[in-house]
Amino acid sequence: MDLAFTPEEEAFRQEVRAWVHANLPKDLSHKVHNALRLTREDMQRWAKILGAKNWLGYGWPTQFGGPGWTAVQKHLFEEECALAGAPRIVPFGPVMVAPVIMAFGNAEQQKRFLPGIASGEVWWSQGYSEPGSGSDLASVKTRAERVGNKYIVNGQKTWTTLGQYGEWIFCLVRTSNEGKPQTGISFLLIDMKSPGVSVRPIKLLDGECEVNEVWFDNVEVPAENLIGEENKGWTYAKHLLAHERTNIADVNRAKRELERLKRIAKAEGVYDPATGGAEAQRFRDEVAKLEVDVVALEMLVLRVLSAEKSGKQSLDIAGLLKIKGSEIQQRYSELMMLAAGPASVPFIEEAMQAGYQGDQALSSLWPNGDMRSAPLASTYFNMRKTTIYGGSNEVQRNIVAQVVLG
Amino acid sequence: MDFNFSDDQEQLRDAVRKWVDKGYDFERRRGIVAAGGFSREAYTELTELGLGGLYVSEELGGLGMGPVEGMVVMEELGRGIVLEPLAHTLIAGAVLTGYAPADVQAAWCGKVASGDALVVLAQQERAGRYNLAACKTQATPAGTGWTLTGAKSVVPAGDVADAYLVPAVANGKLALFIVARESAGVSAKGYVSQDGSRAAELHLNNAAAQLVTADGQTALEHAVDIGVAALCAEAVGVMDKTVAITIEYMNMRKQFGVVISSFQALRHRLADMKMQLELARSMSYYATLKLNDPAPERRRAMSRAKYQLGVSMRFVGQQAVQLHGGIGVTDEYIVSHYFKKLTQLEMTFGDTLHHLGEVSAHMQDTAGVFA
Repeated sequence: MDLAFTPEEEAFRQEVRAWVHANLPKDLSHKVHNALRLTREDMQRWAKILGAKNWLGYGWPTQFGGPGWTAVQKHLFEEECALAGAPRIVPFGPVMVAPVIMAFGNAEQQKRFLPGIASGEVWWSQGYSEPGSGSDLASVKTRAERVGNKYIVNGQKTWTTLGQYGEWIFCLVRTSNEGKPQTGISFLLIDMKSPGVSVRPIKLLDGECEVNEVWFDNVEVPAENLIGEENKGWTYAKHLLAHERTNIADVNRAKRELERLKRIAKAEGVYDPATGGAEAQRFRDEVAKLEVDVVALEMLVLRVLSAEKSGKQSLDIAGLLKIKGSEIQQRYSELMMLAAGPASVPFIEEAMQAGYQGDQALSSLWPNGDMRSAPLASTYFNMRKTTIYGGSNEVQRNIVAQVVLG
Repeated sequence: MDFNFSDDQEQLRDAVRKWVDKGYDFERRRGIVAAGGFSREAYTELTELGLGGLYVSEELGGLGMGPVEGMVVMEELGRGIVLEPLAHTLIAGAVLTGYAPADVQAAWCGKVASGDALVVLAQQERAGRYNLAACKTQATPAGTGWTLTGAKSVVPAGDVADAYLVPAVANGKLALFIVARESAGVSAKGYVSQDGSRAAELHLNNAAAQLVTADGQTALEHAVDIGVAALCAEAVGVMDKTVAITIEYMNMRKQFGVVISSFQALRHRLADMKMQLELARSMSYYATLKLNDPAPERRRAMSRAKYQLGVSMRFVGQQAVQLHGGIGVTDEYIVSHYFKKLTQLEMTFGDTLHHLGEVSAHMQDTAGVFA
């Protein structure tokens, strides 16, 4: 048993740290460190920088042109990117669909799709949820009918994250109504520029359009875009869900944001009991609880990584990572907002953008141009999604209970 | 970064588990509780496994093992809610090996390792709560040694232990002493504590003592941190078994014609118990692997760990009773004894609020396991 990373792992960390430091544009890290809005261009710029280094597909094996990193190396890469303030990698291409194409796609599909994902050129979206299929994903109704060498797709997907930017979308579509719902689903890749595809952004409570509705109206999809076998899509989707386990805890970002929370609390006068009195003590104690939560989550993540590293059967604790990770994300965003208190009430959209020059008339709210409180409520609102997406935390509890009850 | 146990550690675990399963079943434990909460015979069996010398160096007659071995042993003893206070034996072994002068080591280390002497830490005073610096017991030089006068509270196995590690104020500064129970001026009034184990009020009236170290604060903090890490591991064992007992019951008990493990409200509660158990296990590993760090980091880590363990213990214990329904609140059924053990562990070596205060007071600008 040993808590420390090996010298080789530490050397790897230093290599990644130096590279990220040299290559992460400062305007991007500024936005991330201050929770300012990121544009499509921002996200894609970083994706292409990583792509040029061959690190966008950082989880890929060498056989498909990836770096072939171990689970620990992947973790360290994620950590260095998060702590440096890099935008999160949009996962749908490199993290989600690529492993499915590698595992179940044919050589032609691999040759056709993987390079555009690896370079960050092509923006992928995920077409899973439907208006009637949330937690009960296997009930998807979007229909794909085989006609000659094409599928004709009709139906609707929703909650499609950043789908307004999407060029391709991987979808779970119904190809059969026989048997159990899970056995009639296929995994289909669809060009979003195809006639009949329409996208409508959905404005969310934080004021942004992070998700979309996507309609398919007699969309013609070449049969060669089917991954694997017809009606086996559910198996492939489960493979995808199982693929990224530790990353869903997002503990590296939580560490960065906990440090930011401490800075905010300090600046707002609720961190030092010597000057802030009992109110500061109460607030600081809440931060202390979160500090322990983050350490405990990180230890949980490290335990899963250790099991993967030693090639052991993965622990039965992976399901806990999503629950705890999402609760922590919600908590730090909540405490940041509470730290600013009344100053978090104004909800001024321009001030959540980078480059906002401020307004003399608002200097009573943001003295000396310090606008740290501007995006806090928005982030808090946004984080409500974390216990809902990726399998709601209630569904996660069902899974945990299933595992422990046998 | 590696959380696998070595083959030797697994063998140690198996040996202790086997003794707990075969030699310390619930009926034997019940008998020991009825007889006052401590069995010298059971303690001797533990030391015959070599556990008395776990933290005593090899030169001094022990095994000189590390925190991971201590953790493995304490987890297994927790699983059997063993009453005999081996955590204190670990403390005594490490403190005597690490701080005591040679003559004190020669007098006690071999006996601690062999099990001939049970030495416990007697640091609690009634007014001190969890403040280690709060000490009214006074030490006075007497010839080549010292005499101590004062009272210590809730001393584990206090009226049956052979000696005590006692913090006392010498020349205005906290020092650590060892006092034999048979010395003149020592009296102990024993009683049963919450979890069925034995404790005592210890009265020292010009009791003869030997100095372990004049830097009592450093040694006492270290002693308590060894206790915190041992107790975290013990608690993980207790909770692991508590969850297992609860699962077994849920899969067997029927209401409304079905097993109660089919009810989602209860399944989610169990998932939350599993969460608390695994967070606790993670923090027990953390405490163990930080136990040999420099004091400030070590202390911070122990408080982080004990806070998490406190939260987890209360949740797991209370929910285990709740999920059992009426049978959960009976003395006859095993689960209430696990609950009581968890309750007492929370209040040992600093409760949850105390350690939250410590974490809060010592927070750094950075965050995470390696901060």
